[in-house]
This record gives sequence, C-alpha cells and structure tokens, in this order.
Amino acid sequence: MSRAGGGLSRPEQEIRDYFAPLFAPATIAVVGASTAGNGRGNVFIDQLRKFGYGGEIYPIHPKAAEIDGLKAYPALGATPKSVDYAYVAIPGPSVPAAIAAAAGRVRFAHILSSGFAEVPAGRALQEELLRAARGAGVRLLGPNCNGAFSPRGRLTFIYRGATDPGAVGIVSQSGGLGVDIIRRGQERGLRFTGVMTVGNSADLGPVDLLEFYLADPETRVIGMYLEGIAGGRRLFDLLRWARGRKPVVILKGGRTIQGTQAVVSHTGALAGDERVWTALSRQTGVVLVKDLEELIDAILALQTLTARADRPTRKVALFGNGGGTSVLAVDAFAERGLDVVPFRPKTRAALEALDLPPGTSVANPIDAPVGTLRQEDGRIAEKIMDIVYGMDDQDAFLMHLNLPVLLDHIRTGSSVAANLLDAAERVRQRNPDKAQFVLVLRSDGSPEIDARKREYREQARLRGIPVYDEMSGAAIGLAALRSHAEFLRRIAAD
Amino acid sequence: MRPRELLAAARARGRTALDEPAGKQVLTAYGIPVPRARVVVSPAEVAAAFDTLTPPVVVKGISPDVIHKSEAGAVRLRITSAAAAVAAAEAILLAMAAHTDRVEGFLVEEMAAPGQELVIGGVIDPQFGPLVMLGLGGIFVEVFADVAFRICPITPRDAGEMLDELRAAPVLKGARGRTPVRRDYLTDVLLRVGGERGLLWELRDEIAELDINPLIVSPHGAVAADARMVLARTAAAAA
Repeated sequence: MSRAGGGLSRPEQEIRDYFAPLFAPATIAVVGASTAGNGRGNVFIDQLRKFGYGGEIYPIHPKAAEIDGLKAYPALGATPKSVDYAYVAIPGPSVPAAIAAAAGRVRFAHILSSGFAEVPAGRALQEELLRAARGAGVRLLGPNCNGAFSPRGRLTFIYRGATDPGAVGIVSQSGGLGVDIIRRGQERGLRFTGVMTVGNSADLGPVDLLEFYLADPETRVIGMYLEGIAGGRRLFDLLRWARGRKPVVILKGGRTIQGTQAVVSHTGALAGDERVWTALSRQTGVVLVKDLEELIDAILALQTLTARADRPTRKVALFGNGGGTSVLAVDAFAERGLDVVPFRPKTRAALEALDLPPGTSVANPIDAPVGTLRQEDGRIAEKIMDIVYGMDDQDAFLMHLNLPVLLDHIRTGSSVAANLLDAAERVRQRNPDKAQFVLVLRSDGSPEIDARKREYREQARLRGIPVYDEMSGAAIGLAALRSHAEFLRRIAAD
Repeated sequence: MRPRELLAAARARGRTALDEPAGKQVLTAYGIPVPRARVVVSPAEVAAAFDTLTPPVVVKGISPDVIHKSEAGAVRLRITSAAAAVAAAEAILLAMAAHTDRVEGFLVEEMAAPGQELVIGGVIDPQFGPLVMLGLGGIFVEVFADVAFRICPITPRDAGEMLDELRAAPVLKGARGRTPVRRDYLTDVLLRVGGERGLLWELRDEIAELDINPLIVSPHGAVAADARMVLARTAAAAA
C-alpha cells in the first residue's frame, strides 16, 4: 500500500509526451493480418484507412512480402522506423515471443488476444507476456481487450467512429462496453478524446489512463468503466489529489470479493463494496452511475456545461409541450436533488403579460401546448426565455419538445422546431452566465420522427447543447453537474 | 507498552484480537479517552480496585474466548460498593464458566457519564486500505445499518460530512428535544481513529478490524466504553 497523498506519477508535460504515441501514433504495426485478407489485423488496417489514419502502417508477417497493399515485415523489431503503436491479434501462446522480438523498438502494444489471466489456465502466459514486454521495453494495453479509439490520431478499432475532436476521455475494462460507449455515445452527442479498452490490465491499467486524461488539455470530462480494480488505493489517492479539476464519472461493474479473513466486528460486517465506492465518491467528487445509459447521460451534460462551484445547479426551469411529462419530470428531478420551484412573482407577471393562449401554464413548469409553441412560427419561445433568463434566478433551463405532436400539427415544411432551437440559442448567447440550457427531444420511435430528431440533435450538438431523449436522462445529467459543483464548493474551504 | 508492542505481545500469545484492556491502551496512545480503570486477576482484588475509582463502576470479565461479553454474562453495570463489585466478579466467573475456562482477570472501570451512544469502527479493505466508520449505537447500526464510511486518512471535512451523512443526523443535532451532541467531540475522535496520524492509518498493517462500541458522548466529552481490535492475520514486519 502506498503512502497517503497520491498525485501524478510524473510531471504533467511528461505524461502528455509519454502517452502521445498511443493517442496519436506516427507508426502502427499490425500483428495478425493475413495474406488472405481475413485476419482481425486486416480489418484493423481497413478501419484505420477509412478513419483517415495518415501515418505509416507496417503489417508484421513471418513470410509474406506484402499484405493489403502494404509492405510487410517479419518481426516487430524489423520495421523501418520504430513503432509507436502495435496492434497484436494472434493466438495467445504466440504473443510473448512476438513482443520479445520488438527489442526496444515498440512504445505501446495493444494485445487483443485472449487466453491470459481472465482464465485460470492463462495466468502463467500473462506472466510470460509481461516479462517479455518488460524485457523489450514495451508498454502493454490488455491483453483480452478491443483496442484504442483516438480521433486526434485517427486511431480506431471500429467502423463509423466520429472523427471530430471531442472532450470525453474514456477508459474501459470491458472491450464490448467500450464499443457501446463510442457507438451509443456518439449517436447521443458525445465526442471523444479517447476510448481506451484495457482488458486484463497486465501492465497499463485504468489509473494510468486516468493520469493521462487528467493531464490532457483536450479532455474535459473522464468516464471509467471498472470491474475488479487492482490499483484501488492509487485510484483513490490520485482522484483525491486532483480535487475535482475535471469531473470523473465511474460505472462500476461486479462486486469485489472481500478478503478471506472472516469478519468478527460490526464494522467488518457493515463494510462492503458499495460502502467503499460511496466513500470514494464523497471524498473525491467522483460521480457514480449505475449503467451505460446513466454514464452517457452524466457525461453528456459534463461534456459542454461547466460546473459552477459558486452556484451548483439546483433550480431548474422547465418549458415545453406535454403537461404530464413535466409533472413526472418534477418528481424525477426532485429525487435527484433538483428543484422545479415557482418563478418569482415578477417573472410570472411578465409571462402572463405575454397573453399566451388558454391552456398555457406559466408557473414553472411552463406548459405550452403546440398552439402556443407555433405562435410567431416558434419565435414566442424567445420572448418566454428572455423573461425567465432576465428576471428569474434559475440555474438551468430545460426545453422539452414532444416532436411527433409538434410536427403533426404543423404544415409540412414549417420550421417551428428549428425556430425554437434558434430562439434558445440567441437567448443563451445573450446570457452566458445564467441558466445552463438543456434540450429534451422526445420521439415516438417512428422512422420519420427519429430522422428529424437526429437532425435537431446534431444542430444542438454543434452549439454545445446537451440533448436528451427523456426527462429522466436530463435529470441524471443535471444532477451530475450539481454534484460536481457541490464537491468543488465543499472542498473550497479546505 | 506502545501500540505495536501490545499487538506484538498479543500475537506472540497466539491471540487473534486484543483483550479490552490492551485495546483501550492502544486507544489511549492515540489520545482517545477511555474510562479510568484497574485490571485485577481475581475477584478478591476487585474491592481494592473499586476503592481507587469513583463509582458507579462497571466490572467486566476478560477472556480471549469471549467475543460478545454481554451475551456471556461478563458485564455488570452501575456498581456502587466494593462488596457489590466483588459479588459481581464472582457472578461473572460463574456465568463465563459456560463459555470458557480461561478467565484471565477483571476490568473494573468507572462508568461513563450517560450520553449519546455511537459506534466508531475500522476495517482494512484489501483494495483501498483502512476505512473508518461512524454510526449511532444500538438499532441504528444493528437494524438500520445507518453508517457512514470513509477511506483513510480522513480530513476534518470528511469527519464532519460523516456526521451529516447519517440518516440519524437529526438525532445528533438535537431532534425532539434531545441535547445536541458536540460535533467537535465526535470529529476529534474520528480523526484520532481515521486521520492522517490516526490509529487505523498508522496500524493498517497490524490490525484487521476495530470496533469502538459504544463511544459515549456526553456534555463532558467522548469516552470509548468498549473497544475491540482484531489483529491482521499476518502482520507486516514491524516498521
């Protein structure tokens, strides 16, 4: 066990430089591509090309002269330039020798192969792999993982990853979940600085990547999927040292098996995995989530909105169509420590003076039937928002649009929804330090509505607006923002 | 003896836990108040011990085989005379005979002033190291599991937030006409147990579990009325 304290293992600039070849490799070697073109490595080469990778690719093959149109080399140590990143997908027993052959000429190797310590029979093989890596001066990711996704380096292990630079750094102990985070995350508006899958973490583990993301200026928010973590103490010390400099969201899977010593005390009987993680969250400000959807919900808000220590997000204004939806939302928000409280009398009087059509409620929530929203082709929203932003003291403003209702009532080609978004954008620009803006776009799941929703979501994403499918997701996002801000406020006095 | 010596001595005797007098010596070394007490070997010596203390006193039987002293009839409370103290020790000897043939002596100690009973504990997590726990005594801990944990070493802010995190926090703050519990008394003990120079952090290689149950907080201060300290199965070489 380490001493108390923690902190980065080396200066920040050194950490950035150290991991640069992993996140933006100039040269990539591929072990596990075949001349027949059907190896996992061949797919990887194809993915790299489609993702726009601009560096050199060296297929490694004992006999072939060329693979997929690229000159092949017999071993990792035999490439023209030294290798920043090696992708290794060959049967497990062959991996240690392949790594040993790197002989100081490979910085990072991602071992996709399985049959290592994830099964009892593979523990010795993993030891052998680790010895080979140490001997050859190679840092390992994996084994038993999926690879690396890093838009800045055009490095990927999936097709159709978004190439635009992002602000979300992810480390996942599950490869499959890493894929889900990229795919579902980008559909919902996340953009990444990296998604690193670390599998068995024989060498580099989640905490090493956490260090990088903490030091990386492009990363604003960090997400971690953790199973059994060997470096628990280092994780805690590092997070506590970081004092919430960036929000960190953790999805913890599986239960740690407690020590074998039978407990005899009250305290021992009451301690458990959940207690420890709750404690860690309280002491470091980490936001804990329960599943993949919550992970995305939380990160979506933290990706663009800034937690305000001087003003944690608590009071939320709701505005949109669907009375029942906002009633249910008030409950969901209350459960997460967010208040939907009536506006100030002056705000309310000003809203009433707009003389909105019957059926419109202006107390907070503002329930606006379609008839209200379509007034002035949607520009009424700007007047409503100006009043709330200008006269009230809300911490967040949530606009929710039930798209099927909105679009059905409006003649084809109408731009009401777009105008609503434009109006919101103008008000937001005029009031940068006021309520944080969040959008909920509700669909009925039909292909037509989903297509429109996708368009609106993309427009909003480009403006830095988090878009949620449902109010419950927005509640999780805003609660994560509140929780991080409150942590910053709590520690400010230390 | 110093804490590590006490632990080493217990281990040398093949013990898995410190007995209560030794546990309280460790607490004392970390500045955690315990009642004034005497330890004697036989019931006959209890009278002399009584005379050096301010009644009422408590008499407890000491045995390495008895974990739950109350259930084994090894605790007698509110004793106000030397004769009653001797009788209590004799009764304890008889009651404990059903559980053990190793009664090593008697702890005669002043009864803590009445106050709010709390539990402060510790356990060494295999991943995160020592954890400190706070709960209210009795049903709050045993039935509702209303406790707050923190990873050591804790800061003064952590200690204060542990109090506030309990569902029973209003009880500490004086709900329903109760006397509020002094926060500073409680946070002071929490830091002596779980802080940077606290018991759990310094002895994390030597002990596995700790219960201070109850810690009685009265307007005069906090007192550890009982202490149980389980040894780590294999201690690291004494640092």
